[in-house]
Amino acid sequence: MSVSITVTVNGITYPLDVDPHASLLHTVRDQVGLTGAKEGCDDSECGACMMLVDGRPTNACSYLAVQADGARVITVEGLAEQDGAGERLSALQRAMLSRGGVQCGFCTPGMLISATALLERTPHPSEDEIRVALSGNLCRCTGYDGIVKAVAAVADGTA
Amino acid sequence: MTVTDRVEQVFIRPDGKEKVTGAGRYTADLNLTGQAHAAFRFADHPHARITRIDTATARAMPGVFAVITHVDVPEIRYGGMVSDRHLFAHDVVRWEGDVVAAVAARTPELARAAAAAIEVDYEVLDPLPDFVANAEPGAPLVHADWQSYGGSRSMGRDGNILGRSTIVKGDADAAMATADVVVRGTYRADASQGAPIEPRAVIAQWTGDKVTVWTSTQVPFAARDGVAHTLGIPQSAVRVIVPLLGGGFGSKCDFHFEGHIAALARAARRPVKLVFSRREEFIAPDHRREGMLIELETGVMRDGRIVARRGRLTLDGGAYCGEGGFFAQMAAMHACGPYVLENVNVESRLVYSTNQPSASVRAPTAPQTCWALEQHMDAIAAAIGLDGAELRRRTLIEAGAVGPAGQVFGEVGAKQALEAALELIGYDDYLRGELPDDEAIGIACGWWPSMASPSGAYVKLNGDGTGVIITGAQECGSGAVMGLPLLAAAELGMRPEDFTLHYQDTDSGPWDMGASGSQTTFNNGRAVIEAAREVRAQLLELASQQLEIDAAELELADGVVRAAGSPDVAVSIADLAGSGTPLLGKGSGELPENPPGETSSCVGVLGMETFLAPQLITHAARVKVDRQTGVVRVMEFAAAHDSGVILNRIGADGQVYGGVLMGIGQALSEATWFDEQGRQRNPGLLDYKLQTASDAPPIHIRWIEIDTPNAGPRGSKGVGEPPSVPTPGAIANGIAKVIGRPVHELPMTAERVWSVAVDSLGLEWIDTSGKDPSA
Ligand code: FES
Ligand code: FES
Repeated sequence: MSVSITVTVNGITYPLDVDPHASLLHTVRDQVGLTGAKEGCDDSECGACMMLVDGRPTNACSYLAVQADGARVITVEGLAEQDGAGERLSALQRAMLSRGGVQCGFCTPGMLISATALLERTPHPSEDEIRVALSGNLCRCTGYDGIVKAVAAVADGTA
Repeated sequence: MTVTDRVEQVFIRPDGKEKVTGAGRYTADLNLTGQAHAAFRFADHPHARITRIDTATARAMPGVFAVITHVDVPEIRYGGMVSDRHLFAHDVVRWEGDVVAAVAARTPELARAAAAAIEVDYEVLDPLPDFVANAEPGAPLVHADWQSYGGSRSMGRDGNILGRSTIVKGDADAAMATADVVVRGTYRADASQGAPIEPRAVIAQWTGDKVTVWTSTQVPFAARDGVAHTLGIPQSAVRVIVPLLGGGFGSKCDFHFEGHIAALARAARRPVKLVFSRREEFIAPDHRREGMLIELETGVMRDGRIVARRGRLTLDGGAYCGEGGFFAQMAAMHACGPYVLENVNVESRLVYSTNQPSASVRAPTAPQTCWALEQHMDAIAAAIGLDGAELRRRTLIEAGAVGPAGQVFGEVGAKQALEAALELIGYDDYLRGELPDDEAIGIACGWWPSMASPSGAYVKLNGDGTGVIITGAQECGSGAVMGLPLLAAAELGMRPEDFTLHYQDTDSGPWDMGASGSQTTFNNGRAVIEAAREVRAQLLELASQQLEIDAAELELADGVVRAAGSPDVAVSIADLAGSGTPLLGKGSGELPENPPGETSSCVGVLGMETFLAPQLITHAARVKVDRQTGVVRVMEFAAAHDSGVILNRIGADGQVYGGVLMGIGQALSEATWFDEQGRQRNPGLLDYKLQTASDAPPIHIRWIEIDTPNAGPRGSKGVGEPPSVPTPGAIANGIAKVIGRPVHELPMTAERVWSVAVDSLGLEWIDTSGKDPSA
């Protein structure tokens, strides 16, 4: 049995037939074909799968595709701007690179989504607020230092 | 090369853009037309004899393409020092992650259902999880027939002891008897994990007699060789490609599951894809940090001179040797530490058990051993009435010092690192009593060798004057491969961004040991420089003809070859590259030799007894301990490293930030707990707790850049593993200062800290062995 849903991902609307138990993560990766969001645990522990669902940062591994029926979803692929010349990185994406916030990059899609949501909610967060906002996103490589500095740089306009 | 030759620039990694846009492909992101999905049937008991395997039901399930077991692959054993494993268990399963069978099916769910439907009967055997008991003479054997297995015998094969190594210098027994004070300590470390955020994935596809394997490995050539060996096919029939790798930390070293999936794809006659769940990522890899029992005894004179060190280390090797054979000797060196020791007798034993096998995880054996030794050093200091920093100041190695196996050290930054860390953390203020009484500063020193290994690279220029570096080196996320363009560009007067990298493909790059041993820059950097120099010579030759100037009078800079002294007489590299003459260089570089040592009294000598271009480290941690709950928080951290000259500051700093946080996890929250059967009790990220952004303290970094004999390119050493080494020790010493007693179990969980803190009636923790330290 499958269920018909409509999901808008990064501005494009997809009519989809999904299993009722399919997660939003698998649906976006396998059916929509956007593999930016990663599966690190399938259990809401690592944040690598994070997407914005109607603006809320959401662990897509633990969110059913059917719950996202009618929702507007943003994945990491939706963060850079597209123009004729190609992709233009957001200030946060640029800062992640210049501040050493990216090593293996596996946590990066989730980190970017978490941080984007934070900056929309709280444009000038304190360091503590940044750390708390990112504490659902595990990174094994960077010690978070470059990531926190990148978010702070965007917040204070030095990115 | 001198310190002033360093390449000083902030460098954006070439794989950065694809990683921040989500465009980058990791293995699990790839799908091949017609692919089937794999699932394993793991052992149902940690130790049992298989009496029957029946796959008929599983094979008959709709959507199942293949079910394979040991009968479907050649009966070939593999393993590092001891060839003790088969791809599929066929007589005895020795740990809960042993693979009994594999299924390929239309969906992952179907594959898992079919794996569960395979009927396996066992005769259950007593589990042997207690590695210390297993080391006793006469203990039941994990591998009954292992004397007949292939492999090396250089580490001895005795009972369950698969590797025994000693470091012996002088006469430790006699010297111990002359010491003013003798201090003893016993320390127990639990197992822990590399725990990369990317669970591993493997895809295999056969085309004719050739298989291509996409896999999340740190060591593509070892993976290739493992597939060829276990399937009995030539290495030329196996091509291993590594898409982006989502971290490894050593746990993705070694040959793992590529052979199983290649065999499965052959049987299924389709490409097959395996992606591990997080639970499988904990349980199935034959890689984790070894649990250890560390017994240390040191004889010291009242002025701090260390006259004797005895030690016995027992390491849990788990069910199979893997690549862990050298661990025994590595641990013995860390039980000596970077100190001047007049007499040494350290014995280290790697022991089989029916636990998950242990093998490389970031600086294997070092963090646990250093954690024990550095607590032991503080106990020694206390016993002779010295501050811990002062004892280290008096005993750390410097140029001319003689190592535990007779190595005479060249220039090393051990003492500079100590002073730098003390300054960064504000140790003087602490000694003056300026911290609240629930806070203290702990320090720890450590070391790590540079590893010389053959490596190779090609550099070629494109017709427009850009270039490609083709390397066998592997990028694991650290950025080591990403930094190679810096080296090529500097040789050729080009910009790093002029180069692309072609890497992680065993059919194109020269052999390389992979992303292990913190040696990519050290070895492959040398290879890239040599390859670039060949191109440089070709460019000079072409320019010399064109400009009619002797090549010796020419220089390469800013994308041109020009006459030294008259920069207007120049030809661009783009013009030369476009002229049709192939510009192609290859290099491997000359391998530095390990420093000589004196090992006539040692056994199990594997080349780790002397340290090539050693890296020296001091870490200092300001910790806060809640005595009511035992909860420890690291408030501030200082890391001073002699890693030679730093070529890429942003990358090197990143290794420290990440390595220290991993060390804090190992110190406080990370342990794989085995039940009495040897099954993991916490194979998930909820119960195996990694440090989060809000746990991370501010970390101050100082690089001690000195000229080291036999260093790598431009005076560099390695940076990946050392940051993990002294972190748990520094935290341990801070905790002990707050609660007045040391915690001799790792990790130092709240419960353990609390029970030590409240145990005011326990045994005296400094055993002065009959000698009164105050006498
Ligand atoms: S995969 Fe969703 S939180 Fe880890
Ligand atoms: S960059 Fe590797 S997990 Fe964060």
